[in-house]
Amino acid sequence: MLRTIVKSLRTGVLTEAHPFETQPSFGFPVIDFSRCVACDECARSCPTGAIQTAASGPGRKTVTLSYAACIQCRECVSGCPEQAVGVSHDVEVAAYTRQQLARTASFDVDAATGRGTFVHVDAHTGPGLHESADRLRERIRGRLGRSLHVRQVDAGSCNGCELEIAATTNPLYDLERFGVHLVASPRHADVLLVTGPVTRNMEIALRRTYDAAPEPRIVVAVGACGCSGGLFGEATYAAVGGVDRVLPVDVYIPGCPPRPQAILNGLLVAMGIREARSVHN
Amino acid sequence: MTSVISTVSTALGVADWAVRESRAGELTLEAEASALPALADRVVLGLDGRLMSLFASDERHPAGRFVVHHVWSLPRHRSFLHISAPIDPATPSYPSIAAKYPAANWFEREVMDLFGLVPEGHPNPARVALHDDWPDGAWALRKDFPDDRVVPRVHGESHPFRPVTGEGVFQVPVGPVHAGIIEPGHFRFGVAGEPILYLQLRLFYVHKGTEKRFERLPWRHGIFLAESISGDTSVGHALAYAHAIERLVNVEVPPRARALRVVLLELERMYNHTADIGGVATDVAFTVAASRAQALREGLVRVQDELFGTRLMRGAIALGGLKRDVLPEGYDALRRYLDTFEKAFDDLVTLLIDAGSFTDRVDGTGILTLQVARDLGIVGMAARASGVDTDFRRDHPHDAYEGLRFEVPVEAGGDVRARLMVRAREVEQSLSIVRQVLDAMPAGSDASLTAPLPRQLPARASALGWVEAWRGPCTHWVATDERGEIARVKITDPSFLNWPGIIQAAPGNIIPDFPVINKSFNFSYSGNDR
Repeated sequence: MLRTIVKSLRTGVLTEAHPFETQPSFGFPVIDFSRCVACDECARSCPTGAIQTAASGPGRKTVTLSYAACIQCRECVSGCPEQAVGVSHDVEVAAYTRQQLARTASFDVDAATGRGTFVHVDAHTGPGLHESADRLRERIRGRLGRSLHVRQVDAGSCNGCELEIAATTNPLYDLERFGVHLVASPRHADVLLVTGPVTRNMEIALRRTYDAAPEPRIVVAVGACGCSGGLFGEATYAAVGGVDRVLPVDVYIPGCPPRPQAILNGLLVAMGIREARSVHN
Repeated sequence: MTSVISTVSTALGVADWAVRESRAGELTLEAEASALPALADRVVLGLDGRLMSLFASDERHPAGRFVVHHVWSLPRHRSFLHISAPIDPATPSYPSIAAKYPAANWFEREVMDLFGLVPEGHPNPARVALHDDWPDGAWALRKDFPDDRVVPRVHGESHPFRPVTGEGVFQVPVGPVHAGIIEPGHFRFGVAGEPILYLQLRLFYVHKGTEKRFERLPWRHGIFLAESISGDTSVGHALAYAHAIERLVNVEVPPRARALRVVLLELERMYNHTADIGGVATDVAFTVAASRAQALREGLVRVQDELFGTRLMRGAIALGGLKRDVLPEGYDALRRYLDTFEKAFDDLVTLLIDAGSFTDRVDGTGILTLQVARDLGIVGMAARASGVDTDFRRDHPHDAYEGLRFEVPVEAGGDVRARLMVRAREVEQSLSIVRQVLDAMPAGSDASLTAPLPRQLPARASALGWVEAWRGPCTHWVATDERGEIARVKITDPSFLNWPGIIQAAPGNIIPDFPVINKSFNFSYSGNDR
């Protein structure tokens, strides 16, 4: 007992005062569309279809990059012959809709060379970040205060996201100091923190968990698979796909897996304390 | 090698020419399906073989047959024996070996669920992979089953759990959604008061169709899928897949990459063992030790992040080698951290085993006896804690393990304490292994980090890749079709072989001790369910 107390005192406080200040060497890819020639190389190198190209009319082409499906593998960065794909060091990415995680650019394509010339970044469809943030605040107004009870649901994950969610509770990140508490039952939960891809065999359990949670029951989708089905795809024989195919999702936290500070950030967004930032905006 | 072939063929009672060494350390034998049980007897009795995987492949096009595969480890001969038997699609069945060799139990039922091949004589031919609301005939791994077919739910009986009868005896259902941050699975306890009479499992809640997915992805992208088979074993599974591909194309991985792969694999072992030791402390409410373990684990993960750019070392392994090199500063940082870690880890273990309140909970808790571990074919860390001396790093050396000095810790107890001690001693060995590798790191530049791979895989070829990951052996069997595309990937996670062990370890313990028993094994749900 004495040894335990001494150990405890000697160790001191490990919790980091500013968990959001550390910057990893790699966050998400960013396409510099002004250098991009819409050649399809990055789309071919992407294992999840996070980057897609499409013909949008005669001599027209679009390139779309969505963080919802990005597994941060960096294949597009090394695969781009024009060095147009760079890296961002920002990992605190979250959004309120899947669309907010994507950006599409239009290109004019030269019929002779096949090279594209950047025209413009397409306007978003659906609500913008501010608008969504206001809507979410409206839903939770006065109900949550500055505390959040979270029930984690693994609806099909590989366990990678769970490891990083668990890491947010370690003494270095210590998510409880932000008023976030992980609870054992959906009946106690304000938020369901759901990882995916939602499998056929977990779909019913996930719906029942949601039904058991009291209003306003915010749903946060975690990870590339939770946001989009990721590597496992959507509508396969075994997996339904992203969490939003089963439940209404309020906040998306992309990444494979998202880092602990990204998960913390996403939870603060769900509380209405922070506003979602996407490096696209 | 000829001597191994003749020993093996003699023991099996087959002609010398029938057993081929298809690739280094991989013996193959084609047999009639009817001969499988007799061959299994001879492999076990004559060669001390252990079942590592059992699966099927759909080769109806163009060969007009299914094939059932038995993969055995022959540790005495440092070889695997891969027995394959053709099955006529007109009579889709083959003789079961599960009654005699329980390790085959779930494997054969999975083949039945996903291929529709019936194991004749199986003692319990119920579904294992498919839940009750799957229709009959949804054989997802058959080639004529498209992976995007949405299978309708049928109204099925709920899973027939064994009834429990007697006064004061009742059932406690737990899951699939658990109370902690863990994966989904259903436990059904039969209890008399607090003591557990028996435990039944319902898994496959996170069945994602991973093996089918491999058949859709380009083979170069398969490595990312391998990293997502089980999130805490991304290095182990990525390496097993990489080994299989490298053996398929006969590429030798550069020595520097082989050495660095050992570092990756041992770091993965260390961070998981540290986390699980912390988990055991959490489950007996010893928060000081739990916090220490979590902080140590986070320290390791951050060093990994510094060295390889991702916390869980995803994207570090390339087919043919390693994605990128570690700078000399990185090695110094790693060495420094390992010195601090070693002292702190030692303190952590002392803190735990010196606390009577802790040892009281773990000594004699959740015993998996040597006999049961042998009979069930338990593998890896769980087997070593029950006195089974097995480790692929020594018995089937891969990467740079051949030249390294290390011990294989074995404990006799089979209880939570034994599993804790095996983990603690394995971390010590890992430290020594990593230091040996760092001291003798082969020089080289980025160019010597990855062997060039051909553009295409050979057509109609197959190879086995294996790794002793932190839980135990991960094996991947990769086969290609006539165009050199992936035709089949069979993934075997050690958890698939080991889950039945917990059914034997739980009875006699009280329900409040189950979490700590479960954590001491910490089997993967995702690796099991795929």
